[in-house]
Amino acid sequence: MNDDRIDELLASGARDYNQPGSVPREEMWARIQASRQARPAGHQPRASRPIWVWSSVGIAAALILSIGIVIGRRVERAGPPPTAVATHPVATPSKRDSAATVVAATPDRDSLLEKLHDETRKTDRRVRDLAAAPNGASATRRPADANLAYHLVVLQHLAGSEAMITAFRSAARRGEMDAQLATWSRELLSTTRMLEATAATQDPTMKRLLEDLDLVIAQIVQYTTHGTNNSDELDLIEQSITTRGVITKLRGTVSARNSAGI
Amino acid sequence: MTESASVQPHPRLLDRELVARCLAQDALAERALYDAHVDRIYRLMHRMAGDADAAADFTQETFIRAFERLEQFRGESSLATWLHTIAVSVALNGMRKVKRIQGRTEMIDDMPSLAAEAVRFTGDLKARLHAAIDALSEKLRPVFVMHDVEGYTHEEIAGSLGIPVGTSKARLFDARAKLRVALAAFAGDHIA
Repeated sequence: MNDDRIDELLASGARDYNQPGSVPREEMWARIQASRQARPAGHQPRASRPIWVWSSVGIAAALILSIGIVIGRRVERAGPPPTAVATHPVATPSKRDSAATVVAATPDRDSLLEKLHDETRKTDRRVRDLAAAPNGASATRRPADANLAYHLVVLQHLAGSEAMITAFRSAARRGEMDAQLATWSRELLSTTRMLEATAATQDPTMKRLLEDLDLVIAQIVQYTTHGTNNSDELDLIEQSITTRGVITKLRGTVSARNSAGI
Repeated sequence: MTESASVQPHPRLLDRELVARCLAQDALAERALYDAHVDRIYRLMHRMAGDADAAADFTQETFIRAFERLEQFRGESSLATWLHTIAVSVALNGMRKVKRIQGRTEMIDDMPSLAAEAVRFTGDLKARLHAAIDALSEKLRPVFVMHDVEGYTHEEIAGSLGIPVGTSKARLFDARAKLRVALAAFAGDHIA
């Protein structure tokens, strides 16, 4: 058999290869629409994760670290720290640990979240230490300075909470929940409740913010713990965040009080 | 001077306009996008999968992903090419689940020996050819199916697969060569 004949056979035989019938247009369209409606609101595949989400996580990271630097410097200027705090001295990051360096050194998501989580754990320890000191004061520390340290730690906690909420929203949209987010949210909830309970929370605005934060983080803890990937539950969390303006209030409080030198 | 004929908008402009309307949640635009491309995509999916249910699944998945990622369409390629890129990726990833290919491949081993019985030209030779197409590699099969079976141009194939036009031509050449070998070995002296 010559090549031309084979080519003829190839051409004629190929035309029948897996020959399709009529196109089931309406059935497929109905299923496409049903599937799109069933996906969580704001669902976005990983590939189209908006850059602004990770930019805001990066901003929150820089904020936490910069607040950490401020706390460290303020504590140094305030004099010898009280005994409770001395056991867990506030870290004074060196220049090489500046926010920009850390963020730049942790370009991938998981490393960045790990770093943020570690920072909020440090904040948690500081909160516990300050809460343990009687009236936030000691023989060697002026009450005003203790109050200042407390407020700075609160700001750091708020920045950390914003980072966690942002990371959660991003992960939830992708349908990905991991154990780290669950642990992180539980720790932040515990710290938030501790802050609400301490006597130093006399500021009504701060008190309301912490109460709103409590509610939102509690919902996130429930969501991440049960791992249901339930879109209705996710919608409720989003609603809480939006209705209460949690993210806006967090950023506003942190940046306003930070720049006011509080 | 005669009036100039009405100028048709460039197809890429129409694509961008349609996408913009879809992104603005225009339901009619979404349906128009679907209607414009579903037939060709379904046919390709059926050619690749050899199964109507799988073809429908792949087609649905293609459009679901396309609507999710529509803001990523920049108009650098045509909308058709962009959709076909998604479609081919969906099909290749989903092909492992299609049993029909495996079944047809097994047929080759079950076919009676050439020397043992007279072969009816049309049916068995075609089946052998189809099995040989099934057996083409993941690199060669899409190109052969798109070009020789469905009539896509090399430019369309290259755009959809993300390969140079030259590579598309080279792969088609290789695919045909392999199929000729398979056909020649089978048909042999049975063809006058």
